[in-house]
Amino acid sequence: MTLAAGIGYALLALGPSLSLFVSVISKKPFLILTVLSSTLLWLSSLIVLSGVWRGFLPLKSTSRWPYGLLIFTSIAFQEGLRVLFWKVYKRLEDLLDDFADRVSKPRLYQTDKMEIALAGGLGHGVAHAVFFCLSLLTPAFGPATFFVDRCSQLPFFLVSAIIALAFVTIHTFSMVIAFNGYAEGNKVDQVFVPVVHLVAGMVGVASSVYLSFISLQA
Amino acid sequence: MAQNTKPTSILDSLGEEIIRIIAPVSICMFMVVILVSVLDSSSSSSTSASVTSIATIAYSETNSDSSWDKFVGALLNSLVFVAVVTAVTFILVLLFYLRCTKFLKLYMGFSAFVVLGFMGGEIALFLIEDFSIPVDCITFVVALFNFAVVGVLAVFMSKMAILVTQAYLVVIGMLVAYWFTQLPEWTTWLLLVAMALYDLAAVLLPVGPLRLLVELAISRDEDIPALVYEARPVTHNDSGAVGRVAQRRVWRGRSGENSDHGSNNNPNANSVFVENVDSGSNSTSNASVVPDSSTESNTLVSGHNDATLVRAEEGWVPERDAELSAPLIDPRMNIQPQQSELEGIGLGSSGAIKLGLGDFIFYSVLVGRAAMYDFMTVYACYLAIIAGLGITLALLALYQKALPALPVSIALGVLFYVLTRFLLEVFVVECSLNLLMF
Repeated sequence: MTLAAGIGYALLALGPSLSLFVSVISKKPFLILTVLSSTLLWLSSLIVLSGVWRGFLPLKSTSRWPYGLLIFTSIAFQEGLRVLFWKVYKRLEDLLDDFADRVSKPRLYQTDKMEIALAGGLGHGVAHAVFFCLSLLTPAFGPATFFVDRCSQLPFFLVSAIIALAFVTIHTFSMVIAFNGYAEGNKVDQVFVPVVHLVAGMVGVASSVYLSFISLQA
Repeated sequence: MAQNTKPTSILDSLGEEIIRIIAPVSICMFMVVILVSVLDSSSSSSTSASVTSIATIAYSETNSDSSWDKFVGALLNSLVFVAVVTAVTFILVLLFYLRCTKFLKLYMGFSAFVVLGFMGGEIALFLIEDFSIPVDCITFVVALFNFAVVGVLAVFMSKMAILVTQAYLVVIGMLVAYWFTQLPEWTTWLLLVAMALYDLAAVLLPVGPLRLLVELAISRDEDIPALVYEARPVTHNDSGAVGRVAQRRVWRGRSGENSDHGSNNNPNANSVFVENVDSGSNSTSNASVVPDSSTESNTLVSGHNDATLVRAEEGWVPERDAELSAPLIDPRMNIQPQQSELEGIGLGSSGAIKLGLGDFIFYSVLVGRAAMYDFMTVYACYLAIIAGLGITLALLALYQKALPALPVSIALGVLFYVLTRFLLEVFVVECSLNLLMF
């Protein structure tokens, strides 16, 4: 709606991650590099998904099943990528430990490992927020606002910013939980993360089914 | 606090050099994106009245041409541009070979003045016009003149605070990059690709001008007179394997130290080569062109030279260490392993990573051009360029010689731009508008 509103929406989506970045990540250069590479990885995953689904878009069907399938496949792909990320991280951890031995410094502490996982998760969250919310915010800096049919009570930018905030939180801490789960072989943690991701994604589909159901009744 | 008794982990300092290069590159790109989005949104329809410059001398793009015509025209433009840049670089190599360093440095200072004064002035005028800033002519001229003169001194002489020099280099890169983004679209993209290929050839081929320049500079133990951004080096007290001593990178051209550097009679020449060719006095928007022929600085030089140079430098290191480590480096590394005692002071003082200003400029041009489409492409291209820069730095650490910094980043940047524009955007917009996010 104005410059202030645009900045407000951007901060709504990315405020906590910005403060996390400034307080934790910016102190250690390696973590900044981890955030950047993690963001790049998830951007690539989004590009691959869009490449796969491009032929089917725009989905014009009135039923919601195609959307459900889209979300399900995307989440499944991203969770698979998380496992791959974990494997790469294990190799990196070995390299770092070797390097630490060479320069006669202590090996990676537990907090270091969790910080790297946090940085990886933050990269994932930032990738989501940037591409699903920030990049669509350009009209919000102008004089008007925009409403979508799906949720006509709130401006679209506000809705996407709030959802992006939620997803940033989910992604950031999922990575920590997942890495912890993979490291200790804790099955509960390992399953918890994809389930949460799936539920969060599917809620979007389910709410649209609900709304269409409501509108059918009325 | 327990923190003080626990030895510091490697995670505290690893990767710091890379961040010191990525930060100014990011700042430059960010400023160009801001400039492009602020100045472009106001002058929406004047894109057809484009810049007449050496880069559009073969063909001026209009909106009515077909795609194939635009492509061919842009190809001709970029070939002409690369040819001019090659010729100028060879002239530069010749002048360097004939030891006309004074002339080169003077030209460098003059070019910096023109960039800062005239280009910076024009952009400042656009901004004043857009935001209706109340400032009168005389104040403006005085302020601009002072700004330009300080900038010339910062890049010309080496006795400035390094932060000022770095800031002015970033500003010069930003100004030149903004002018490049005013070129027509197809021309810009093909120009980027052509420059990346030229960079690859010029640095790696044995007959390439940039390689000749680097070899001449190494053999003579002089600095290349070019605009080169040098990241502040990271001083470790204890890092580095044993082998690092002989391979310790030469610490060149640090501001303030050159006065005691007797052997180097080229006082941190950070010269810029901006070719100003008046290509048509009737062009209203921009008469002077800037094919940035500081392409010799498109190399990423690790500063590593052979052992003879290292020995010549060794005696100076202690003062430098003391000078640099006191104000800057957080003395967290308190561990002194045996190695450092054996090899004496100055172990592991790594040289700085140098990135030519031409690289800054072309990265920012790519991102600025992406900003003219949409912000999604900006983010994607930014990540791609940083990834390319990281890969180039890794290769630099591997091969330990001057490498072209443009090809990988530009390739990734163009690839991600195309993928984002044609694939990702549709997907994301579709999902977002239906509030389906994952």
